[in-house]
Amino acid sequence: MHAVPSTYAGVADVVAVLVLLTEFAMLRAPLLRSQVKLYAFQSLVVSGLAVYVAASRHINELYALALLSFVLKVVLVPGLVLRLLREADVDLAGSSVLGVASMILIALGVSAFGFFTVGSLQVHSIALPTTALAIAAAVVLVAFVLIILRADVVSQAIGFFSLENGVSVASLVVAAGLPLVVEVAFLFDLLVAVVVFGVIMRVHHGRTKSLSTEELDRLKG
Amino acid sequence: MPLGPSVVAPQGVQALQDLTVLFGAPLVSGVISHVEGRLQGRRGPRILQPYYDLAKLFRKETVATEESSWVFLAGPVVAFGCYLIVPLLIPVLTTYGLPLGYMGDILGGGFILALAGFSVALAGTESGAPYAQLGGSRAMTFGALIEPTILFVVFAVALITSTDLPYALAATVRSSSSEMVRPGHVLAAIAFFLVVLVDTGRIPVETHSGTLEFGMIDEARTLEHSGAPLALLKWGAAMKQLILYTILINVFVAPWGLAASGSPGAVALAIPALLGKAMALGMIFAVIDNLFAKLRLFKITEFIAAAFLIAVLAVLVFYAGGG
Repeated sequence: MHAVPSTYAGVADVVAVLVLLTEFAMLRAPLLRSQVKLYAFQSLVVSGLAVYVAASRHINELYALALLSFVLKVVLVPGLVLRLLREADVDLAGSSVLGVASMILIALGVSAFGFFTVGSLQVHSIALPTTALAIAAAVVLVAFVLIILRADVVSQAIGFFSLENGVSVASLVVAAGLPLVVEVAFLFDLLVAVVVFGVIMRVHHGRTKSLSTEELDRLKG
Repeated sequence: MPLGPSVVAPQGVQALQDLTVLFGAPLVSGVISHVEGRLQGRRGPRILQPYYDLAKLFRKETVATEESSWVFLAGPVVAFGCYLIVPLLIPVLTTYGLPLGYMGDILGGGFILALAGFSVALAGTESGAPYAQLGGSRAMTFGALIEPTILFVVFAVALITSTDLPYALAATVRSSSSEMVRPGHVLAAIAFFLVVLVDTGRIPVETHSGTLEFGMIDEARTLEHSGAPLALLKWGAAMKQLILYTILINVFVAPWGLAASGSPGAVALAIPALLGKAMALGMIFAVIDNLFAKLRLFKITEFIAAAFLIAVLAVLVFYAGGG
């Protein structure tokens, strides 16, 4: 029988679980558009976690970070990707290599691996919600599964963006007092990734008239 | 010698649990279908309609197909008996365990419910009619698919309380509000909610009030029955629904309003409290019924995979450190 976690750890865990569940939802979302919306929701949850950590730990810089990540990850990035999707106007349904149930089972196994790995690290402290850390690791791993198993550019971009969300959760629960510059550097990274993926989506769609990466198995176009 | 009994004997309370489920279940079903009608812009059937239906069916004659044997008629009776046993095992009215309450744990109750489902499916198959057989085989298939989810919910419960007695989990949840927001507990409760959705044949899985046989799972099993056996089946389905609601409410979500002692007042209050909570939950199900479309039959595995995912995550979160 485990001890009941504190309220802080409890809230952090619930938020982390929500992030993980949206990650799974993205994995199975049939429409690319709904995938982007799920990403926006996931980012909203992460921003909420930043606000909660800021309030309970009295770290005022985190409010700025929360605001920044809200503007960037909930409004800007999803809006941009949705616009690209509207312009592309093809392949609304994403392609996946496997069926939904087997994809979920694989991701479940991978996230279990994440849980057990972080569990065996034996990091314990009163201030650190170990569960949230383990879940953040699982989020990162499931994001990799999403990138690998979904064969379209948008899913891969969204998988990469949501991987950043997993890292955000981990950094928020492990090192809430991380200098703002470092956190903003993460977000800047994301911005660069958005630009790169935006270009990839455009070029890929321009060349193959589709968003599927299955066209990319030939060496010469 | 006191004049009146100041404490209801535990055996009396236990009998009362059974009677509450027995006579309250049609009422809960009636409220749900009334609310559903209202939500769809109809007036909806009377709240007491299920009782009239049962009374009518009990007066009608029983017809069996020529191919069927005694199993066809015995199935509904066995199922009804099972549904009468389960309320003895779960906290329906009291917070404390009753004499027969420790006869079986959550798994025991689950097995008895499974036996009931099996006997109804067997009776349907025995009729020799194609749709009833289809219903029986589908019910068994999806029952087998949802079983791992139920097991993982039980594992999560066992991790919280170190036992799998429903009374113990209810007591744990009542003990502090932080138990309620533990992610592991929330996930297990959500997974069980989805299990209830599947097991009561509600909308993402099955339209419970349709007449289209192709989408039917549970409903199709009873197509060939008539008269008193059909009444028992309908009554049993209502009881199963109330039993599952009771487990969800009194074990996972809201184990309040139960009698903490055997005083007649507390026990008498616990009955309307339970029925009220069950009706509130039923209204949630009615709203879900109106918000979503039925899944295609082969998409149901995806729904079940989602439930399984949530249940496994509940266990993993506990494993990862107390979630």
